[in-house]
Amino acid sequence: MRYGMVIDLKRCIGCTGCAVVCKAENATPPGVLWLRVVKQESGTYPQVRRVSVPLQCMHCAEPPCLEACPTGATFKHMNGIVDINADQCVGCRYCMMVCPYHQRFFNDGQAGYFDEGYTPFEAAGYPRHQEGVVSKCNFCLPRVGKGLEPACVANCMARARTFGDLDDPNSEVSKLIRDRGGYQLYPELGTDPSIRYLPP
Amino acid sequence: MISARSVRSRTVDLGERFRPQREWSEGRGLLLIIAHFLTGTGAGCWLFAVFFDLTIGLPIGLLLVIMGAIAHLLFLGRPERFWRMMTHFSSSWISRGFAGMTLFIPVAFTYLLLLYFAAEQSMIGKAILLVSLLGAAWIVVYKGFVWASSKGIPLWNTPLVPALYITYALRAGAAMLMVLLAFGAPASEVGSLEPAKLWLAVSTAVLVLIYIEVMRGSGITALRSINLMLFGRVAPLFYLGVALIGLLIPIVIGGFAYGRPVPLELLGLAALFSLLGDLSVIYCIAKAGLYRPLPM
Amino acid sequence: MRDQTAVEEDVWIPTTCGVCYSVCALRVHRVNGTVVKIEGNPESSTNRGRLCPRGVSGIMTLYNPHRVNVPLKRTNPQKGLDIDPGWVEITWEEALETVAARMAKIRAEDPRKLLFTGTVTTQDEVPFAKLFAMAFGTPNGWNSGAGNHCGTAEHLFGALMHASWSKLPDPDHCRYLLNFGTGGGFGSYYCVTGMAQRMADARVRGMKHVSIDPFLSPSAEKADEWIPIRPGTDGAFALAMLNVLLHELGIYDGDYLKHHTNGPYLIGADGFYLRDAKDQLPLIWDAVDGREKPFNAAGIKDFALDGSFDVDGKPAKTAFTLLKEHLKPFTPEWAEALTTVSAATIRRVAKEFGQEARVGSTIMLDGKVLPYRPVAVMYFKGAQGHKNALLTCMALELLTEVVGASNIPGGLLGMNSTSAGYPETGRLKWTPTADRDGLMITGRWPNPPAPYPPRQVKGPETIDLRGMIPTCPGSSGALPVVMSDPERFKVPYKIEMNLHVGSNFVMTFADPKAIEKAFKDVFQVSFALFLDESTYLSDIVLPAASYLERYSHTADWMSSNSPVGDWCYHIRQPVVEQIAQRRSACEVLLDLVERLEMRDEFYNLVNLMIDLKPPYGLDPGRRYSWQEIVDNRYKSLFGDERGLEWFKEQGLIKWPKKVEEVYWKAFSNVRVPIYFEWFKTVGEKVHEMADKLDINLDTSAFQPLPEWRPCHAHAGNGHDQSLFAVYYKFPMQTFSGTYDNPWLDEVSEIDRFAYRVAINSATARRKNIRDGDWIEITSETTGSRVRGRAAVTEGIHPEVIAIGGCGGHWSKYLPIASQEGKGLCFEWLMPVGLDNVDIPSLTQDQCVRVNVVKAGAPL
Ligand SMILES: Nc1nc2c(c(=O)[nH]1)N[C@H]1C(S)=C(S)[C@@H](COP(=O)(O)OP(=O)(O)OC[C@H]3O[C@@H](n4cnc5c(=O)[nH]c(N)nc54)[C@H](O)[C@@H]3O)O[C@H]1N2
Ligand SMILES: Nc1nc2c(c(=O)[nH]1)N[C@H]1C(S)=C(S)[C@@H](COP(=O)(O)OP(=O)(O)OC[C@H]3O[C@@H](n4cnc5c(=O)[nH]c(N)nc54)[C@H](O)[C@@H]3O)O[C@H]1N2
Ligand code: SF4
Ligand code: SF4
Ligand code: SF4
Ligand code: SF4
Ligand code: SF4
Ligand SMILES: [Mo]
Repeated sequence: MRYGMVIDLKRCIGCTGCAVVCKAENATPPGVLWLRVVKQESGTYPQVRRVSVPLQCMHCAEPPCLEACPTGATFKHMNGIVDINADQCVGCRYCMMVCPYHQRFFNDGQAGYFDEGYTPFEAAGYPRHQEGVVSKCNFCLPRVGKGLEPACVANCMARARTFGDLDDPNSEVSKLIRDRGGYQLYPELGTDPSIRYLPP
Repeated sequence: MISARSVRSRTVDLGERFRPQREWSEGRGLLLIIAHFLTGTGAGCWLFAVFFDLTIGLPIGLLLVIMGAIAHLLFLGRPERFWRMMTHFSSSWISRGFAGMTLFIPVAFTYLLLLYFAAEQSMIGKAILLVSLLGAAWIVVYKGFVWASSKGIPLWNTPLVPALYITYALRAGAAMLMVLLAFGAPASEVGSLEPAKLWLAVSTAVLVLIYIEVMRGSGITALRSINLMLFGRVAPLFYLGVALIGLLIPIVIGGFAYGRPVPLELLGLAALFSLLGDLSVIYCIAKAGLYRPLPM
Repeated sequence: MRDQTAVEEDVWIPTTCGVCYSVCALRVHRVNGTVVKIEGNPESSTNRGRLCPRGVSGIMTLYNPHRVNVPLKRTNPQKGLDIDPGWVEITWEEALETVAARMAKIRAEDPRKLLFTGTVTTQDEVPFAKLFAMAFGTPNGWNSGAGNHCGTAEHLFGALMHASWSKLPDPDHCRYLLNFGTGGGFGSYYCVTGMAQRMADARVRGMKHVSIDPFLSPSAEKADEWIPIRPGTDGAFALAMLNVLLHELGIYDGDYLKHHTNGPYLIGADGFYLRDAKDQLPLIWDAVDGREKPFNAAGIKDFALDGSFDVDGKPAKTAFTLLKEHLKPFTPEWAEALTTVSAATIRRVAKEFGQEARVGSTIMLDGKVLPYRPVAVMYFKGAQGHKNALLTCMALELLTEVVGASNIPGGLLGMNSTSAGYPETGRLKWTPTADRDGLMITGRWPNPPAPYPPRQVKGPETIDLRGMIPTCPGSSGALPVVMSDPERFKVPYKIEMNLHVGSNFVMTFADPKAIEKAFKDVFQVSFALFLDESTYLSDIVLPAASYLERYSHTADWMSSNSPVGDWCYHIRQPVVEQIAQRRSACEVLLDLVERLEMRDEFYNLVNLMIDLKPPYGLDPGRRYSWQEIVDNRYKSLFGDERGLEWFKEQGLIKWPKKVEEVYWKAFSNVRVPIYFEWFKTVGEKVHEMADKLDINLDTSAFQPLPEWRPCHAHAGNGHDQSLFAVYYKFPMQTFSGTYDNPWLDEVSEIDRFAYRVAINSATARRKNIRDGDWIEITSETTGSRVRGRAAVTEGIHPEVIAIGGCGGHWSKYLPIASQEGKGLCFEWLMPVGLDNVDIPSLTQDQCVRVNVVKAGAPL
């Protein structure tokens, strides 16, 4: 069992809906974006190509962040999801230096978005996060536990995202990877990410 | 507390093609730089103090390591959980370093007690001293590996970094001693130290050059980092702190002192400069650290 | 902080988004009274469970502490763009009394002195407020940039060619999409979320998408081919394509043109139809019988499409022949010089388009054999927002008509032109019909009357020339011009009061200085979510309930209802207890109706316009609450058991669309013009009227056939140092209205372009501007200057800079939006004036010329 995600760059329109829905689902504090979308441009005028690429924790099978973590706060679930046990994190940020995809965030304070103080949403959501520790995408484990798709998958308005078991050759993700040539980011680093991209 | 401004700047970073690491160089991150400087200098100081039998270096060395350790703790987001860092010795260089310090501090402390209060040198004393030396050496060595194991930051991710950190730590140790001696101990003792320090100063200079040259050829991100150091926002500190104050001046003064006797104060000053240089180099390398561009 | 461990409440509430007019269905998750998540309602075929970032971010607007929470009154008598009104809190009672008193006085004197302005963002309150204005007795309404930026001319042709406000390509069958600058399916335009999914399917299916856009925009980014074009020259591109199709390739759908257009109509030397003496019906030529006949005569053997004929002495040509001859000079070489697109490329695109149209081919859908023309020509704000709007739209529409790809499988679909109605009640039934000349009249139009048949040309009684120019189907770009100088246009009154329901028109129309001048002396009452720039001109601000805090009678909007799949009608209901003193504008308007004692007029109008059939019509004998009216509307449409209560539970109602509805053209005998004879007639009338009132008005664009005309910005033709500036929308913001939302701010910050100015690398090098540099943009027409950071890219025409969205706020009451570097406000660059308006459609020209220089970073 190894959870993974396929992001179809042909379908993706770079709307950032996934980035925002992640904030809503996980009530992450200001400046903390477990998912972000960046643009990649190539070619010269007028033969130009610009591709939007959503980025989040790659849930590496060989996660450098886990190796580096001095406390064991970073760990891997049986299902392949790389996760952080906030109660064990000392906030040394070593993992932030070793993650080649820079997908980890240090929460150095619980300020809200508005100087006027917490909105009811923030008041309700922020207690889920600890101050002084590192956080990142957890593949929406709580949702997955309830049999739901991750929020960014469920909401994607181009249906560009598919979530499933990479170990199961018949899963939708495995099929897509086979049929459309799914690839990883920086495979040469030996991290073996569980997020695969389909060519634009 | 995140003010609207700092939130914005962090967010902007996320869009940058070459994103600088900030956690280990800005705000509370500065504590880590200081911590690495202090522990390195302290450990180096301890080593030299033993080899050249300059007792006054021992308590100072230990003190620096302890101060460094405290800086380390203050840097943590959750200092109260520091003990957890012990648990992953097998894979984490921070764990290993932490182990090194927890080994060194008490042992060195006991040794000092024996040194000052015990009647004559016992066998145990020697054993303890040996262990303290191992601890100090370990502290000198591990730091570089913490940085070097950072896959995310190509500028650091090279075996040269440990080499650099080791020489710098040793050099700093020696320099620390010189400062102490320059303003206190009898001149005779200093002479013995100077050649070592000069040699270290020269070799670090050489190492720095090699490092820069190698990293320039180690991929686009490392090159970008080097450019930051040589021409970008890090350049001023690099030329002033690392090159001039940290290397040039000490080497000149040292070389000068090699031939003929010079006033102690001058040597002390040179040592002081080289210490500043050591601090600068750690900061510059941290500050110039950039993440690999994403997606490619 | 509340203890989350105790969960007293955990509910999902179905409702409808209102951050843009795509009206996606929502399910809002509320725990212990707090909204914790907004999701798409998977039941709806409008958005099929998905939301765009703005929809998801609604929480942060609902709870934004910068929202207006209490009625406010200005204390500073001085008005100005950045003069603090000095707000003080007042009671609702005081606010409404003041407003009612003012209104009563105006109504007694001359109701036309009341202006109503609203945003397109809300498809419930604004239409309802419009009814209020109508009942009040004023013909004056304005939708800021709505229409007069995006689609005044386009919507006109929507009515004439597709019997609908807007149109989208057939997402299920289209194989070749020619996109003249719209974000349809890529994060903007109509039906944003639904089309994003369907267009993604089409991409994977292999549909080719050719984007013609000066900027490699969010939609061009997804195209298979990007053709950069000089702004404002799409008409020339289209004319050249038509030229190639008709003169070089001979590709056209003769059968379609004969039976579904006025192509075969005989046109006399004077340019008007030849009509039969008896019934004055337009004549056609029966090629078999070799004589003219009324177009609808029984037993016509074959409509002659192409040719010149002699109709008892009078020389005549078919409309098609005239079109063809007219197109002769518009060669690709001619267009190359204007568009900067090579003649070879234009030829290739025309060929691909013509061939992929597969004229003559058919497809079997649901047992019916239908024509199959898998090509679509999309255009909207980008191509039409120019001085040459009408003639450009005409040329673009003719591409679709010539190959017969209009409202049939694979082609361009009117957004719900025909509805067979809700099966159980037979309500919501409409379909296009033909007038005496056989030309199409829309079955349903959002703001009646529809543009065709043409209204008569009246004297200047509206404040925006619409009365005089009946071809403007929406909101007029001339309003600020006339408003600041009514005498010049012989308007017998001045606007004294503005009922303002949203719309940040100070930032979203044109030159804020000119807008200030026009609105300064007007008493302005604003229903507002935020104290945005337009409220700086307000006298009273009322705390508006947002889409998450109110009931709506029309949460759905036909133009954003999915073009294929299901019909789908949603409910909008509050998802939280009333916050502070915020109130629904509709509720408040009902209150005003009472205070002004205009219940009879208003209720009767409501019954008529929102079509409340007995027994659900409002009885002027008694007062109704807003909820009752919403309840009546739903019951009237969907039957007694499906009132508000039912919808609050179920959220929406849907039923499948029939082939006859989606691809209605194949089942209809209405004709559309390819020769716009009546424009000529109307143009002449407008000209007379203008002369009579000696208003100097250039009516030369009222033409039956298309041509290309330059905008002012084309004077320099880009050879000098100055550049064209255009703006574009991106998925993270709605105009200026969402910039204070911190989540949207963060994703916009990360985006390379959203808050910056896209400029071509070569151009930037010439001006030694580097990526991220601060630049200063000065308009050649308004002289105003805006600052922003450069995003240097290969993906933009070298003569053009592109500004995203509508940032550059300055209201001190929007602390997040009003920071330096949060986008730019394009409007500062765009002049107000008739020279910048396409007269027949009253469209605002958005072509501007600017000078760009490197600037220092802000202090
Ligand atoms: N620079 C630039 N200018 C543009 C455009 C652009 O993309 N860029 N687009 C043009 C086009 S196509 C159009 S249609 C116009 C649109 O122009 P506007 O209609 O003025 O759009 P907004 O700027 O979003 O202003 C909407 C205002 O209404 C408020 N509002 C939102 N929802 C509600 C509500 O439910 N109730 C009430 N009472 N108020 C509400 C918002 O807070 C906001 O202040 O702008 C045009 N101008
Ligand atoms: N996310 C989001 N969606 C929206 C809205 C929003 O504010 N945000 N607003 C809604 C409204 S009211 C409207 S009107 C629609 C508008 O939806 P769109 O039609 O997508 O409007 P824009 O994105 O403003 O303009 C489309 C493109 O026109 C290009 N363009 C500019 N000048 C020219 C030209 O001369 N020729 C050509 N070929 N292209 C040109 C621009 O670069 C831009 O890429 O979107 C609706 N949907
Ligand atoms: S939501 Fe989907 S389409 Fe939008 S950016 Fe994310 S992945 Fe791409
Ligand atoms: S992406 Fe980074 S954080 Fe995620 S598993 Fe890999 S290394 Fe760890
Ligand atoms: S910050 Fe936390 S998770 Fe990261 S390495 Fe340190 S302890 Fe592990
Ligand atoms: S999987 Fe969940 S946590 Fe991870 S990015 Fe998507 S929404 Fe965020
Ligand atoms: S497209 Fe418009 S209606 Fe739909 S979710 Fe986005 S903002 Fe809301
Ligand atoms: Mo619009």
